[in-house]
Amino acid sequence: MIVEILLTWLALTLYAVSTVLVVVGVVFSNSRFTSWSVIAAAIGAVLQTVSFGVRWVRLGHGPYLGFYEVAGSLVLFAVATFVVVAWRNPRLAPAGIGIMPVALLLLGGSMLAQGEVVEMTAKLTSWWLILHVAFANLAFGAFVVSFGCAIVYLVRARSVDGKWAKRFEKLPVQEVLENLTVRFALLGFLFWGIMIATGSIWANEAWGRYWGWDPIETWCLVVWIIYAVYLHVRFTLKWTGVRLAWFAIIAMPLSLFALVGIPLVFNTPHAGIGGLGKDL
Amino acid sequence: MIGAAWRRLVALLRSPRFATVLLLVLSGWAIVGGIVPQGTATNSDVMAWAAAHPAVERYARAVNLHQAFTNPLFFALVVLLGISTALCAWERTKVALRRSATLHSAARSDAASVEARHDIEIVCDPSLSAPEAMAMAAETVERLGIKVRAQDGALVSVSQRWTAWGSPLFHWALLGLLVALFVGNAFRAEGLMGVAVGQTVPDARASYGVVTNGLLRNWSGVHRSVRVDAFEPDYTLGGVDRGPTPTVTVLDANGKAIKTQRVYPNNTLKTGGLTIYPNAFGLAARGSIVDASGKVLGSGFQIIDFSQEASGGTVAVGGFYVPNSKGEAVYDAQVSVSLERDAGGWIQSMPAQPAARVVVVSRDGSTVLDRVVRKGEIVSLPGSQSFRLDDIVYYARLQVVDDWTIPLLYAVLVVALVGLSIATLARQQIVLATVVESPNEVRFLVRVRLWRNAPTTRSELQDELTRALGGNQKGSMT
Repeated sequence: MIVEILLTWLALTLYAVSTVLVVVGVVFSNSRFTSWSVIAAAIGAVLQTVSFGVRWVRLGHGPYLGFYEVAGSLVLFAVATFVVVAWRNPRLAPAGIGIMPVALLLLGGSMLAQGEVVEMTAKLTSWWLILHVAFANLAFGAFVVSFGCAIVYLVRARSVDGKWAKRFEKLPVQEVLENLTVRFALLGFLFWGIMIATGSIWANEAWGRYWGWDPIETWCLVVWIIYAVYLHVRFTLKWTGVRLAWFAIIAMPLSLFALVGIPLVFNTPHAGIGGLGKDL
Repeated sequence: MIGAAWRRLVALLRSPRFATVLLLVLSGWAIVGGIVPQGTATNSDVMAWAAAHPAVERYARAVNLHQAFTNPLFFALVVLLGISTALCAWERTKVALRRSATLHSAARSDAASVEARHDIEIVCDPSLSAPEAMAMAAETVERLGIKVRAQDGALVSVSQRWTAWGSPLFHWALLGLLVALFVGNAFRAEGLMGVAVGQTVPDARASYGVVTNGLLRNWSGVHRSVRVDAFEPDYTLGGVDRGPTPTVTVLDANGKAIKTQRVYPNNTLKTGGLTIYPNAFGLAARGSIVDASGKVLGSGFQIIDFSQEASGGTVAVGGFYVPNSKGEAVYDAQVSVSLERDAGGWIQSMPAQPAARVVVVSRDGSTVLDRVVRKGEIVSLPGSQSFRLDDIVYYARLQVVDDWTIPLLYAVLVVALVGLSIATLARQQIVLATVVESPNEVRFLVRVRLWRNAPTTRSELQDELTRALGGNQKGSMT
């Protein structure tokens, strides 16, 4: 348990270091700092993975039950997605300025809010749980990267004197950045859809209904619809530029709220992610 | 005039702007429906919310927000969404047909066809020969993430025809999903049925304690029954307690077993459109009324639910009736079982020495018998009849869902996700290039369509090619 906690704190520290490095790198137009921020994020993600592995062995189930595990795995997937994207395309490393602070705050918040361990029950013992949670994490990872790209796009677009545009000059051109924002939103939309579908099939197996308008189900549908609207305005109404970037920036926190905020606000049988656990 | 109005209506329903607004309205409705407690006016959450928000409650009640997702207004919005989706799917199908044909013809392009029809023309650096220009262009395009192959003197990168069908497939599948949901709800029946161990209950409306069904549900067409063969209060598998687990058999009209299995969460019994889930459990007493000669006049099960508030920890649900020689009910009998206790209250399981308290009441309300009876014991009733407690067993409250559209829903969901995956991941692009050499210059010609998921943009491609070929753009033409 001590190893697990220590590793998580180290991961959190590295995410904090990564956040500072990317901010410094962008503000002082120093690509070495942004590269180091990606390395720090990557090491942090490895440590967090090991920490989850240790926890998995200790508890006998993966990191998908309870607020700490769910929020932590969302962070892990978001950071891992960012690291892979920045590794394959180093020009995108400054997008970490929109991603790493989210990861830092979410992991820190989940560690502070760490509650009791949720044990496996008959209703939770299903392969659908793993698929459902994995796609929720993948979707969130994609939405966060889309969010990061949109923030960078916006900062550069609104840089009247060109100072901030210069700081992000190594990034791909605005048009390419916008395409990346849309593509990650599209990918997140697909994964979110799979998350809803797998959750619905699982609910039918465990609860006897595939849809019950539970607050989490409702909000997940709302988020999916909001991203559907985003994709419609992009592809059919041909929105581009700043207003499209704003849309991506506003949509991501909604997905975060659906995943980790709802159980804190509403009474939901989705006990796996920190609900009141009425129906475990 | 009617024709013009109809066209305007269709144009409105088909417009992307309308679809976007409709989606926003639906999500707004869902958010409000998620915030306002859902249920009938007598629901405790609804009543508490109404008392706490009297000003808002007036408006909430006016639009029936407490039943937001069964509300006619919501239904109307979903119907509109269905129509809009159908029209949108049709538009996308037309686009996909055109695009698919374009991809098909582009895949067979050669240098001459690119020369005849191109979008970008770059005059190359005079020092470059035609093969060198082709090689450099191929390298540049591949660096931007587009793999090209040489074909009849041209560089070719054309997506497969099927890549154009992702979006229409997704939209048609969404429409199919909405239709399947409506059809499913019209034919669906769902209810709770209490079945004691050893008891066989027909799958009929009267067998359910609580039941809801769609408008088109036909109960008379159902000829099967449900039996509980065994009950394990603590069934453990793979180190996980699966909870109270009945073994359930579904029988056909001739009493032949169709399927038997243990039923616990994530291991439901499925046969045809029928799905059986565990819901709750309790005890059941099997008793018989016998006459003076020992002949059994009738027997049955009395369902007994656990209740921490009730004396003895159980309450009888329903009851027996005691018939006279003509079969007319003359007494009502109720059976309850006293549970064992610990510090936490009544222990909700079979007592070690089960005994039943039998209360027989005449039709005028007077109690004619009230005593504790052990298994197999016979007690005399007024007149010549007796009551025999045959057994005390567990009963399983089963949630029985009959909905043949569920596999169909899953199939449509899979199709929708396949369509969405194609739309999300598959590229739709055409990049065709060739070089034309004349005595004065070497021109590099490109025909480009980057419809979806392309790794670059047309302007980036144009700039990078111009830079790589060390030339200048001569302008674009289509």
